[in-house]
Amino acid sequence: MRANSILFWILAVFFALSAAGYTFWAWIYYDGKIEWVGTVALILSAILGVFLAFFLGRTAKGFGGVLPEDRLDANIDDGDPEIGHFSPWSWWPFFLGGAVGIMALGLAVGVWIAFIGVPILLVALVGWVYEYYRGYFAR
Amino acid sequence: MGCVTSTSISPNSAAPVVSRPNVVAVGTIVWLGSEVMFFAGLFAIYFTLRSTSPGLWGAETEKLNVSWALGNTIILVLSSVTCQFGVFAAERLQGRKTGGAFNLAKWGMAEWFLLSYALGAIFVCGQIVEYANLVHDGVAISSNAYGSAFYLTTGFHAMHVTGGLIAFLLTIGRAFAVKKFGHKEATTAIVVSYYWHFVDVVWIGLFLVIYILK
Repeated sequence: MRANSILFWILAVFFALSAAGYTFWAWIYYDGKIEWVGTVALILSAILGVFLAFFLGRTAKGFGGVLPEDRLDANIDDGDPEIGHFSPWSWWPFFLGGAVGIMALGLAVGVWIAFIGVPILLVALVGWVYEYYRGYFAR
Repeated sequence: MGCVTSTSISPNSAAPVVSRPNVVAVGTIVWLGSEVMFFAGLFAIYFTLRSTSPGLWGAETEKLNVSWALGNTIILVLSSVTCQFGVFAAERLQGRKTGGAFNLAKWGMAEWFLLSYALGAIFVCGQIVEYANLVHDGVAISSNAYGSAFYLTTGFHAMHVTGGLIAFLLTIGRAFAVKKFGHKEATTAIVVSYYWHFVDVVWIGLFLVIYILK
């Protein structure tokens, strides 16, 4: 995980230098004008790198240790821990996707169709979020 | 046997067991990274239009109510603070309050998130009032380049805030629906707070660019 963090720090530095170089180059090329699209995109790419590097670095420090996948002497089954709750199967994402599809169709064809999509979307969203809070598998 | 690649039958204790970082938290941060680039596109639109029509910007930014937006910004930043207190409650696995309604030290995640929800809702309402005033002054999304840039950037942000409000409600609902508030519910609260802080920071950036830099 430390290696992942360092990789993103390298990317952040690369994008910061690119942003400076690009801005300066465009400034010369366009006679003292800044080309904003590339400048903004490159600066925020650097911020993206800092953001991920900082979080991964903090996480690596927080759990204190080396992940099996970062060790040369680890086995496959060392990296097989409990990593959380995953639904074995669920119909709700299907309904959720269908509802969003109806809404998008409504925006494209006629807004009245979207009014049918919204209630289905609400039901599907609540059903998905609370699937494991009610019924046989309630926690 | 040198070329056999199946896993060993005898357990090897070379790699000590570590508690892995939360996959939901890491995944949320990576997704928020993609959101950074989404807003990068919007900022690029804003700055490009600003550089191509400086006269329009000079005239239209006069109509902005900076003090109103500043008050709105402070409300959104405060909601991030209350949201973080909700996370502290979730981390000690306390879903709901254990004391009186005004005993803040005994508040659980649900109460703090409800307060954050209220502050976020005030922010969105403030945005709507501001939009109404601007439309009254002739700044609409279709009136000129400034209107398009202004409503696209702040509008997409307001949609993100609204999404966060819905996430708050669903998270509070989980605190009430669950039999025993556990790590899964705490994870939900933590990742919703990541999203909320992210949206808050984006707003600070938008506020500085639109209302201070103009």
